[in-house]
Amino acid sequence: MPKRSPAVQLDRAIEAMLAALQPQPEPNPSPALAQLMPIARALRDLPRPDFKAALKSDLQRRISMNEAATPAPESSKAAHFRRPNFPNIAPYFLVNGAPQFIDFLVSAFEGTERMRVPRPDGSIMHAEVTIGNSVIEMGDANEQYPQRSMTTHLYVPDADATYARALEAGATPIYAPTDEHPSGDRWGEAKDPFGNTWYIATRKSAVSAPEGFLTVQPYLHLRNAHDMIPFIEAAFGARATGVHKSPDGIVRHATIEIAGATFEIDEASGESQLTQSYLHVYVPDTDAVYAQAVRAGATGVTPPSNAPYGDRAAAVDDPFGNTWFLATYLGAGQP
Amino acid sequence: MVARRPAHKPAPQSADERLLVQAAQSDPANFDALYELHFERVYYFLSRRVHDRATAEDLTSEVFHKALANLATYEWRGAPFAAWLFRIASNALADQHKRASREQPSSDNEQNPDHHPDLSSPDPEAIDYHARLFRLVDHLPAVQRQVIRERFVEQRSIREIAGRLKKTEGAIKQLQFRALQSLREQMEGGHA
Repeated sequence: MPKRSPAVQLDRAIEAMLAALQPQPEPNPSPALAQLMPIARALRDLPRPDFKAALKSDLQRRISMNEAATPAPESSKAAHFRRPNFPNIAPYFLVNGAPQFIDFLVSAFEGTERMRVPRPDGSIMHAEVTIGNSVIEMGDANEQYPQRSMTTHLYVPDADATYARALEAGATPIYAPTDEHPSGDRWGEAKDPFGNTWYIATRKSAVSAPEGFLTVQPYLHLRNAHDMIPFIEAAFGARATGVHKSPDGIVRHATIEIAGATFEIDEASGESQLTQSYLHVYVPDTDAVYAQAVRAGATGVTPPSNAPYGDRAAAVDDPFGNTWFLATYLGAGQP
Repeated sequence: MVARRPAHKPAPQSADERLLVQAAQSDPANFDALYELHFERVYYFLSRRVHDRATAEDLTSEVFHKALANLATYEWRGAPFAAWLFRIASNALADQHKRASREQPSSDNEQNPDHHPDLSSPDPEAIDYHARLFRLVDHLPAVQRQVIRERFVEQRSIREIAGRLKKTEGAIKQLQFRALQSLREQMEGGHA
């Protein structure tokens, strides 16, 4: 029998090892066989590179999502340009039936109505509900500002209890809170009767900070989310504090901070349908940010002016279909 | 084979590792470095103690998620960070065994010692040896790396790999041989 080459002998031994068979003895074993088989045996436990990359990606996503819930620094929360008791970027809900929407927020999320400005016809021009340490704003939809389906991320003390209350208040289940969510939080999802999606989460552990998370985070599912980051940096002087991308560059999650308050974005796909949101954000200088946003590609909707409620206010549409209500607090008593 | 390896991690590395842990505790974005340093160790530790790759992956995932979540509670007391990870891994193994027993209460798992989780202390030398070998695979020339992964991870036959890489079976065997030789030389050379 002709002597087999060392490469062939090695492969025969590997084949037997992988099939868990007793190897046939080689008539003329190469010395390399005895040297290399221990390496081959050790390689049976070689991890899948895809798994290593996917787990890393999961962990980064979780870190990114935890950053989203980290409170803004105390100094920026007390920033003079922000109306008192307004720590977050507020999702501004323009809905058909704002009074019923307020009732829903109060019942489902233990919200507290703190302001209601009615129109003469009884509809609501503007209202505010606090949930936890954050603010949600709303009004009745109109021709200029029609109803949109938005997504909001809530951090609550007990996701299961909040989820149950939301269903009782008329929400439709998407899925009940589970510990299996990639964020590492206990997380459930429900849709309210107005078509808005609510991510209801409770932190199981504290990675970044133990307490004081903002209860409300607007969550934007975008098309070409990767383009949002440079846009929003240029337009609003924003900062992406946690960007998690897939290997092919798709934004799986990012946390964006504007003037000390945050919101979250990702690429719309599957169950995370494209959202177009209304957002209310306080900035240090509405005029400057408005001009900067338009230069960066936003469309001016309402130029800056002094609003009767004491804000310097303006509105722009971004290229992703979201409307931004910009505001700078001028101080109590200043029209 | 393991006896050839130099002794376990020399002391100076512990100071570096402590800095990595502190960096991750102050900013979890730095957890990546700890993950890169310990992924292979944790995976190998678990892989030797379970019967299939999917379970090893699930448990590895659980260990790192728990480590990240509880990093703030970790206190440096001189033991390697890996020891903390192995403790989490041992707990994950025990929990997984309990879950499996609950799901199949009528099986003879309890009577069969092979079905009990192996919670023995990790052998640091064997773990370091394998972790180092796994990382060296990443540095093989691309085609050798692909052959090794397809053969040992995907467990494809030489014929399948030859078809996928559009090479002869003889060429694939040669690539496999050269890759193992290269790994052996590097392992003996002590580079990592």
